[in-house]
Amino acid sequence: MMVGHAAQAEERLLETGSTLLYPLFNLWVPAYSKTHPGVQITTEATGSGTGISEAASGIAQIGASDAYMSSFMVRAHPGILNIPVSISSQMVNYNLPGLNGVHLHLSGPVLAAIYTGKIRYWNAAAIARLNPDVRLPHQPIVPIHRTDGSGDTFIFSQYLSFTSPAWNNAVGYGTTISWPPVESGVGAEGNPGMVDACKGTPYSIAYIGISYRKYTAAAGLGEAELQNRAGRFLLPTPRTIQAAVNALAPHTPANERTSLILAPGADSYPIINYEYAIVNAHQPDQATAQALRQFLTWVLSPRGGNSLRFTRQVGFVPLPPAIVRLSEAQLAKIH
Amino acid sequence: MKFRVWLAVVAGILPLALIAIVAFLAIYSWPAMHFNGIGFIGRDTWNLGNLYANPVMFHGTLIPRGATYGILFLIVGTLLSTAIAVAIALPMGVGAAIFLAEVVPDALRTWISFFVELLMAIPSVVFGLWGYVVVIPFLGKHVYPVIAHSVGRVVPFFGEPSGSGYGLLTAGIVLSLMIVPIIAATLRDALVNQPSSLREAALGLGATRFEALWKVMLPGTRKTLIGATFLALGRALGETMAVLMVSGNALNVLPHRIYDPISTMAAFIVSQLDSALQDPTGLAVRSLAEIALVLAIISIVVNALARLLLMMWNNSQRSVMV
Repeated sequence: MMVGHAAQAEERLLETGSTLLYPLFNLWVPAYSKTHPGVQITTEATGSGTGISEAASGIAQIGASDAYMSSFMVRAHPGILNIPVSISSQMVNYNLPGLNGVHLHLSGPVLAAIYTGKIRYWNAAAIARLNPDVRLPHQPIVPIHRTDGSGDTFIFSQYLSFTSPAWNNAVGYGTTISWPPVESGVGAEGNPGMVDACKGTPYSIAYIGISYRKYTAAAGLGEAELQNRAGRFLLPTPRTIQAAVNALAPHTPANERTSLILAPGADSYPIINYEYAIVNAHQPDQATAQALRQFLTWVLSPRGGNSLRFTRQVGFVPLPPAIVRLSEAQLAKIH
Repeated sequence: MKFRVWLAVVAGILPLALIAIVAFLAIYSWPAMHFNGIGFIGRDTWNLGNLYANPVMFHGTLIPRGATYGILFLIVGTLLSTAIAVAIALPMGVGAAIFLAEVVPDALRTWISFFVELLMAIPSVVFGLWGYVVVIPFLGKHVYPVIAHSVGRVVPFFGEPSGSGYGLLTAGIVLSLMIVPIIAATLRDALVNQPSSLREAALGLGATRFEALWKVMLPGTRKTLIGATFLALGRALGETMAVLMVSGNALNVLPHRIYDPISTMAAFIVSQLDSALQDPTGLAVRSLAEIALVLAIISIVVNALARLLLMMWNNSQRSVMV
């Protein structure tokens, strides 16, 4: 057995893309390599756009992306697969001196109005109505957004688009959007930049990937309870994220390109998303295709990559069995 | 003979590389230029459009629905931050050069000059990080509110609100520290290399030490100073990393106050490339290439202007002498 492995030519796989998925791949790859010495997997954090483009062109075998590809893009690259490998979510944080211990209630339309500059002060009527028991300060709100292309911007703007028709018409959603000019608004680079900017700017508000909760907690930032489809205000916890996943898993199509924003159900947290491995179904040779299938099968397995042992470390949630089956069906197409 | 051929090849590669880069940018961004038109540099909206809807045909080009590419805010941000940087760096650089050439004792001069030149060798990301960690909180909390409260009462451009610390003035200040050593080191060398007989003659005619410096020594280095300033200007125009970290990265908005967030062309290309790659029509990446082309043209024009200025100066000096 050992001799067989040693004689085998070493297979090389390249994973590149999403910086949000990067820490998870960096937990997976060393664990996988220990039991599978015949494969060498390199990981890179380059951004979802780069991941998609390099997986499509064949430079990388796995493109990591926080957003699924558009229908047009899939048509332009026949054979490209969008395979969910994990589930992420997002917090809305704020820096309100004296009030960071309070979980403010915020809704999609209110956030949309803040990010378009229509609501300018923390004690505006629309915010006060959602938080009748909180003494809000009369201070201008500083909305912080990502300036680099980002899956976090994608899901945040999708939450605003799905809840606020005004936002949907004027701005829409994407990994980079044309942010409405808000005089006090600030742009920040990456999730670490969001945490720093929010921490350093009193009366600011920011959207931050769940895997950065360690840092938002250390920075003492407040965390909002967001309004879900049923009208309830919830924090992103394993329970509320799982509830949202369970509500939408049955509606996931076979190609798995779907949004998980604003899931139905009383206990569903509204901003969650699939994290994708973008893979070309046509690989240049058998050996590469097999190595790729094997690794991704391990990634999806509850006893492999899709176990709490890994996902908990980055704040993600494992895929439910129904989605694992859909992803496995897609894996079978790789040849 | 063979050696000469080699030299010719090596020397020829450099201008060819410049032409090749500009030609590549022009050809690659041609579809974007065709779609954007001249409004590219006059519009204030950079919008990738709806990348999840089906693209639409527009005058024979496939474009994402709602896509608009305009970079006026980037051009303004680039030019203003560079102007502030040069405005701060010029007096500082000239002062430092005079100090190093005229005031400091010889033994110390070598050391201080060495440190000034070392400043040039620091990678720009280090300046950026320092700006991010130290300069922004300090200026944002302690300096800008004071300026806004005093100068701002008279000049609206300096008025309140003084912002978060990320923005135009911070970018200008960080940039100025990066280009001061270029001006200081070059001018110091020029001052030291002036013939000492000039100074002696001036002093012999009864000029004070200050007059000898101001009226005789400095005018002789004018050309060097202009050259160094434009070199510094070029560096500030194209600086990417440090600006990205301190400018606040404004999108689609012009600065109304000196503290407002801005973005520059170089920083924007870096921060937007990944999103642009998600545009299935490829027009976004080509529009980024068009920004690069505009930046290259601005840099080339600035350098050409510097040459022209020097040439005109030379001619006028010659005619005075005749």
